[in-house]
Amino acid sequence: MQKYISQHNLNTLLDKLIAAGTRVVAPRMNTGTPLYEPLTSSSEMITDQLPRRSAKEAFFPVCEDIMTYEKEGQKVSVSDIDPARFPETVLVGVRPCDAAAIPVLDAVFSWDYKDEFFLERRRKTTIVGLACTTADDACFCSAVGLSPAETKGSDLFLTPLEGGGYACETFSEKGETLIANHPELFSEPNNAPPLPLAQPQTEKFDLKRVKAWLDEHFEDPSWDSIATRCVGCGACAFVCPACHCFDIVDEGTEKAGTRRKNWDACGFWKFTHHASGHNPRDQQPKRYRNRIMHKFKYYDDKFGQTLCSGCGRCIRVCPVGIDIAAIVDEIGKK
Amino acid sequence: MTPIDTSIYAAVSAAIRAEAQRILTEGQVSAVVGYTAARRKGSAQPVVITDANDAARLIFTPACVNNLAVYLTKAKKEIPKKGRIGIVVKGCDLKALTGLMGESQLKREDLYLIGVPCAGVLASTFDPARELTADSIAPKCSECDAHLPQGCDFLPPQTPATPALDRKYAAEIARLEALTPQERWAYWKEQFAKCIKCYACRQVCPFCFCEQCLCDRNKPQMVETTPRPAGNTAWHIVRAMHLAGRCAGCAECERVCPMDIPLNLLNRKMAKELKELYDYEAGFEVNDKGPLTSFTEKDDQSFIK
Repeated sequence: MQKYISQHNLNTLLDKLIAAGTRVVAPRMNTGTPLYEPLTSSSEMITDQLPRRSAKEAFFPVCEDIMTYEKEGQKVSVSDIDPARFPETVLVGVRPCDAAAIPVLDAVFSWDYKDEFFLERRRKTTIVGLACTTADDACFCSAVGLSPAETKGSDLFLTPLEGGGYACETFSEKGETLIANHPELFSEPNNAPPLPLAQPQTEKFDLKRVKAWLDEHFEDPSWDSIATRCVGCGACAFVCPACHCFDIVDEGTEKAGTRRKNWDACGFWKFTHHASGHNPRDQQPKRYRNRIMHKFKYYDDKFGQTLCSGCGRCIRVCPVGIDIAAIVDEIGKK
Repeated sequence: MTPIDTSIYAAVSAAIRAEAQRILTEGQVSAVVGYTAARRKGSAQPVVITDANDAARLIFTPACVNNLAVYLTKAKKEIPKKGRIGIVVKGCDLKALTGLMGESQLKREDLYLIGVPCAGVLASTFDPARELTADSIAPKCSECDAHLPQGCDFLPPQTPATPALDRKYAAEIARLEALTPQERWAYWKEQFAKCIKCYACRQVCPFCFCEQCLCDRNKPQMVETTPRPAGNTAWHIVRAMHLAGRCAGCAECERVCPMDIPLNLLNRKMAKELKELYDYEAGFEVNDKGPLTSFTEKDDQSFIK
């Protein structure tokens, strides 16, 4: 289904949803930092900046409770968190690189174990994507086969038009329902041309060649030259729309506490630290190698997909300038 | 915005290249830690060079933001520690090395210090091609007293010309000090709420060289590891306290924070307290006893009531 919505009507739509108790998550400023966060009013939404963290947290929060326990005398009671209580959500203004990563994550969260925390939020969320009109030289969506107009992952996709407003296109029943519930805010598509889209400058990777090289080079001296300088923080993984490792910890006292699931990162020293004291990834380049292997080989082996959508966030935030686009490009040319 | 004159950086880069090549060729050092250009326009990255021919890759630009001292600490075991190591240092980085010598982490004779006459570097490398101006310059540079690092083995002859700039930390600390405790608490609660526990602040800090951070321990767990308000606040307070009297203000923690938490404000506030209480400033001379690890009868005792 194709429609048109003006900026004014889009704001009205969001305000109506908020008033009706729907959780509306969109890019907004939090103390100077753009983040995907719940809105209290459509006026908070910003569309001109890529949020610092990806949209994955709408489904896979930085930290969430998964169980609580209480102990009284010899009696222990455990309460599960009920995913049925997660709110209906509309996620708006999602960049194509963020939206495209979400169906990629479905594969791992619904594989042998069905992660109801992720999947229930997926069922209850409508994703409204937004085409990208600006890119910097860290952007490389086009290098991994996506584009600033990529609609993968979006239920409804907005393309900004010359003269204001958006062309709307639906890609699922959820997207159609959103329009059907608010028909007065949408009109028939007009002939205004789209605003010029962003043009990421990175050359397209040969992902088959990249994988073929990775298949054969678990041991290779280039890992040292790539990642000796890696300082071992989790910034790259935490801003990534596709990284999905988490840790589970129990926090509280002997009497009561909570089991929590929170983001983890393969760059951390303790990520593979065994209880015995042994650490199979005993040096930083081995940890960074895992990041590349997981994104461009292991996930492909297991699910036939690439675990990178080219958002460029890890390049921008890396304290020591590790540039995954340069690394993968070079691997593809070996 | 007023541009900062960085025209000396081309000559500084050439001098660094020539010196690195000389000391590697003569075998005076086993490696040189410096900066090299990277793919993105205007970008730079740390590099470890062991072959004299690679010295030609060294640069110094406003994007050479890293404090390379982190590569000489125990936390970074991957850098070979055999023989003397050459390292490119700005004045702020040198203060960290001085502190590490005082804490017996490094020996002066194991280092060959290549100083940088530095007019300033960028606050952030999100856009590494950004021009260096009074607006884009790192706040630490607005308060720098070490544009020419002292006591290096080699210092290019150029003299940086940095105009007087508004002292950004001093102004922000004054603003926060003028708030009520409740308002200040609200400010930091909001900032720490953004923390995602990526530990970039810890990993780039030259003084975070503990082989196992207290905050990574789980038997017993000293600090909640989850990125939630209690654990986040505990983590940042532990860090500020642990760095008091040691941090000399390279501000790497603040630069790398992907959530833009103004971490160096905490460090500068602690430095200000130590100056007032003990007339102590970190990073100027090699001291094996800092103000918080020694006692004299002259120490302020007014807190005992």
